[in-house]
Amino acid sequence: MTYKVQIDDEVRDATADEAARIDAAHADAEAQSQAAANAAAAAASGRAKLAALGLTDDEINALVGA
Amino acid sequence: MTFPVFASGDVLNASDMNAVGWWLVKTQTIGAAVASVTVTGAFSADYDNYLILLSGGTASTDMNINMTLGSTATGYYKFGYFGAYSGTTVSGANGNNATSWVGVGGGATNGLYSWCHLSDPFASDRTLFSSMFAQPSTTGNGVQQSGFLDNATSYTAFTFTTSTGTMSAGTVRVYGYRN
Repeated sequence: MTYKVQIDDEVRDATADEAARIDAAHADAEAQSQAAANAAAAAASGRAKLAALGLTDDEINALVGA
Repeated sequence: MTFPVFASGDVLNASDMNAVGWWLVKTQTIGAAVASVTVTGAFSADYDNYLILLSGGTASTDMNINMTLGSTATGYYKFGYFGAYSGTTVSGANGNNATSWVGVGGGATNGLYSWCHLSDPFASDRTLFSSMFAQPSTTGNGVQQSGFLDNATSYTAFTFTTSTGTMSAGTVRVYGYRN
């Protein structure tokens, strides 16, 4: 993919090395976003299971936080 | 007359000026549709600590903005937490020897934003950061995090890189805290 990069006031096409670094930054962000989404999904699943056992929202919050 | 209150015509003594806490080191306007912006000459022996502000402009989509120092692409550690405006769930996000500090700033079509404090980027020592940002988007997040770069390299430049898409026309301001 072609990227534009800026060094101070100069805007130009990214070199291959710069493009690789941008790709790496995108991959890092995606991996962290996915990890956070997975953790949030696991938390939601856990809360649903606690609710299915009959705990109220206040009781679940007291156990695992809001 | 002494700081912090001055009257018109007062003499600014050295002691008054030396008590000024923040000095504007550099202002950089972001160009059109760039994936990254590198600010050179940002850090020097004049200051140990810096505040970097990103504001204004636009992003092509909801995004995080990552930070790197110099040409270093490894050794970035951080932990942060964030939550969407639409709920009360707090989520964590970590970087464990990553290629950048992900999410030092953020953006949306309504604007770009970062508040980032750096300690010792110029010193030959570990560089630490604390940052926060709010995405100006109804589907966005509020984010706070901190971390460090695991090397003892001295840096003079930093780069903001988008996590996806491009950014345009914002302003980066670098302030040095007087030692």
